[in-house]
Amino acid sequence: MTAPETAGTGLRTAHLASRPGARPTVGEIISVLILLLIVLAAVAPRLLAPGDPLGISPADAFQAPSWQHPFGTDESGRDVYTRVVHGAGESLLIGLAATAIGLGLALVIGILGAVAGRAVDFATTRINEVLFALPGLLLALVFIAIVGPGVATTTVAVGLSTAPGYARIIRTQIRAVRGSAYIEAAVVLGHSSPRILGRHILPNALAPVFVLATLGVGQAIVWASSLSFLGLGAVPPAPEWGAMLAAGRPYIELAWWMTVCPGLAIVATAAASTALGRSIQARTRQGDG
Amino acid sequence: MLRAPHTFSLLGSIAIVGLLAGCSSTTVTSDEPVEGGVLVYATGDAEPDCLDPHVGGNYPQALLATQYLESLVSKNAEGDILPWLAESWTESPDGLSWEFTLREGIEFTDGTPLNAAAVAANIAHLKDPETGSSTGYLALGKVESTTVVDDLTLRLDLTAPDSALLDSFSMPWLGIQSPTALERGEEVNCASPVGTGPFIVESWTRQDSITLVRNEDYSSAPEDAAHDGLPYLDGIEWRFIPDATTRYAALQSGEVDVIDNPQPNSLAAALDGGEITALLAPRPGASNRIELNSSKPPFDDPRVREAFVRAAGVDEGIESLFFGTVDRSYSVLSSVEKEALSAPEYFEGDLDAANALLDEAGWTERDDEGYRVRDGERLTLSFPVSTNQSVPAEQSLFEQLQATTKDVGFEVILEPLDLSSWYGALFAHEYNLVSAPYTKVGPDVLRILYHSDSTVPAPSGYFANLAQLKDSELDALLTQASETSDPALRGELYEQAQEIVLSGYYAIPLYDQQNNYLLGPDVRGVRALPTVSTPTFHDAWLAR
Repeated sequence: MTAPETAGTGLRTAHLASRPGARPTVGEIISVLILLLIVLAAVAPRLLAPGDPLGISPADAFQAPSWQHPFGTDESGRDVYTRVVHGAGESLLIGLAATAIGLGLALVIGILGAVAGRAVDFATTRINEVLFALPGLLLALVFIAIVGPGVATTTVAVGLSTAPGYARIIRTQIRAVRGSAYIEAAVVLGHSSPRILGRHILPNALAPVFVLATLGVGQAIVWASSLSFLGLGAVPPAPEWGAMLAAGRPYIELAWWMTVCPGLAIVATAAASTALGRSIQARTRQGDG
Repeated sequence: MLRAPHTFSLLGSIAIVGLLAGCSSTTVTSDEPVEGGVLVYATGDAEPDCLDPHVGGNYPQALLATQYLESLVSKNAEGDILPWLAESWTESPDGLSWEFTLREGIEFTDGTPLNAAAVAANIAHLKDPETGSSTGYLALGKVESTTVVDDLTLRLDLTAPDSALLDSFSMPWLGIQSPTALERGEEVNCASPVGTGPFIVESWTRQDSITLVRNEDYSSAPEDAAHDGLPYLDGIEWRFIPDATTRYAALQSGEVDVIDNPQPNSLAAALDGGEITALLAPRPGASNRIELNSSKPPFDDPRVREAFVRAAGVDEGIESLFFGTVDRSYSVLSSVEKEALSAPEYFEGDLDAANALLDEAGWTERDDEGYRVRDGERLTLSFPVSTNQSVPAEQSLFEQLQATTKDVGFEVILEPLDLSSWYGALFAHEYNLVSAPYTKVGPDVLRILYHSDSTVPAPSGYFANLAQLKDSELDALLTQASETSDPALRGELYEQAQEIVLSGYYAIPLYDQQNNYLLGPDVRGVRALPTVSTPTFHDAWLAR
């Protein structure tokens, strides 16, 4: 299962709910607020939580949420709220970087497939199909098994595993645009191929892909957290949401807040970026029509 | 200078808590053992690569080998040596020659008789570099040759007297295997070792479980066993469940009967009462320590080592992470060893002293992240952590150590690794700090851990002297202690030796090696063998 595919089905149902140019819905406002909050936490964590995310205080371990510690404390007495806030930066960065890697690679493959002739198209499409046969997360795990764990490899791994989905969409979009009347007109007018590609095809073909990428960021954050949860990404005690989830799991009966709070942060980020992505998609789709 | 408190003997510490509590849910209420049934054991220790404990020789292998192999001698709860496969033994007056007489009429489960030649073949197997033995190989370091005197009598000639020889022979890593089985080659023998024990390895599904069935001809129970005859159980299903939370959930749901390596909070709950009971069995030999690699910078400077030890406050963390189930240790030896020297004065936290020592050692500047720098190089320590051997609470403790030592300017880089990558990091000397459990019966473990000879890798590649301590005075003390049979003199020599290790800041003792088992409500008669505290199921039965 890959992000772009799920998004593809949502594409047709979501447009019923919102019209282009209409006032934003409550869901959209909430999504934007959540994302703004997370971006703020990522850019200026000290504004929201001035404490030290790594500062220990063993005597205060396992304290339940209170005014002093809104999300409680973990097994070393670190403030979970501070850690969740400081974890936003890493999670968001991994999500954005992974999506950028996936999209960049997909652009190369997709454009090659669409414009470089039959043989190249055949080759890239077949490779893409093979990669599609493997679940994305499995692809990421294979990559990590070969290269070794760590934050950088996790990011690249997630990026790589999302690339086939984007590549397929880019190729289809370019081919669809290339068959349209205005491209024919440009060819008749004698424009050079690079100019047609740059000026006419790409701008029209890529707009929907960037909307998809908004959805992809949420998915990438979830995947990166999954890999950290498995101990393959960020290393404890780094305040990364997936790693925090893993660290809290042994104590779930005793200190639920250690897992629930970072878990909610992951859910909120992924849900907000998915909801927002779908709204944008619905709006632009209707705008096109 | 204090001696470690050993107010309770091994007997007292192996407490079976509330074994008979919570019978109401079961149909059997009498204490008469019930025959039959398969006990499900779930281990959190790593799955061995090889079930023959001669190869390598780690604790996961000992846990399993206790079920199908037996040793020449055993120990009772008071720490006295008991006859087991060997009926009697004599030591020559100069200590250079030993004669062991074996019990008569015992057969391995493949029908091969137990005789002097069989034991000689086992010793040869352990000493053969091809076997790749570590624990057993080191334990037999002084055995020079073996001679079959008669069918049941074997003579060992030593290069030097060895006061730890009987302790060594009591360990599961020196379990006696069928020589016929050993001849099948390593690959076959690793999958199905053959011994004289109460159970037989029937099959092994990798990454899942091992099926053990009852040895229907079993006749060699040690004399401290609760009964003599066949095991009550039909067999044991030995499952590998590496995740502590999953393991405990499986025990709670009744899917498994016994688990090892429980989370401290689960253990604390079991000690508070309820249907699940706890069997506490601290391992002998060494305590859990963090070793400081003195062979390379920055720990080649004793001032830097002392600074690290003074900055590493772990007391509060041990208390809160282990829910009061463990005591802080100030000795490199387990509290069950009566020779253990406890020296809290070397481990008193003192940040000012630590800062002064680092200044003195030339680490005077700090970079913008607060870490100390000398000649443009950061005061960085690499700390590979075995996620198979360090429970989550211990890993959290290391994270706390990282935070506390940062205050004085150390940068500790924690690297959580699986067992083989971790061994890889150690073999390549890519560590400044490491916590490696080592279990050996008796204080002679000090020789294994801190004699300069142990910086040389054993055939398995492992070197036990991870602190890389090379001190000729210490070597002399440890050698002398292992050659003397006078207990008072031995105690004195071991005390001096420990004084050198502790005062040189080569190690930070944490606590006894945690070795705890949780038993489900139906389980009866499980005890830990007093040698290296592995559980034995010969007397175990299921009340259901």
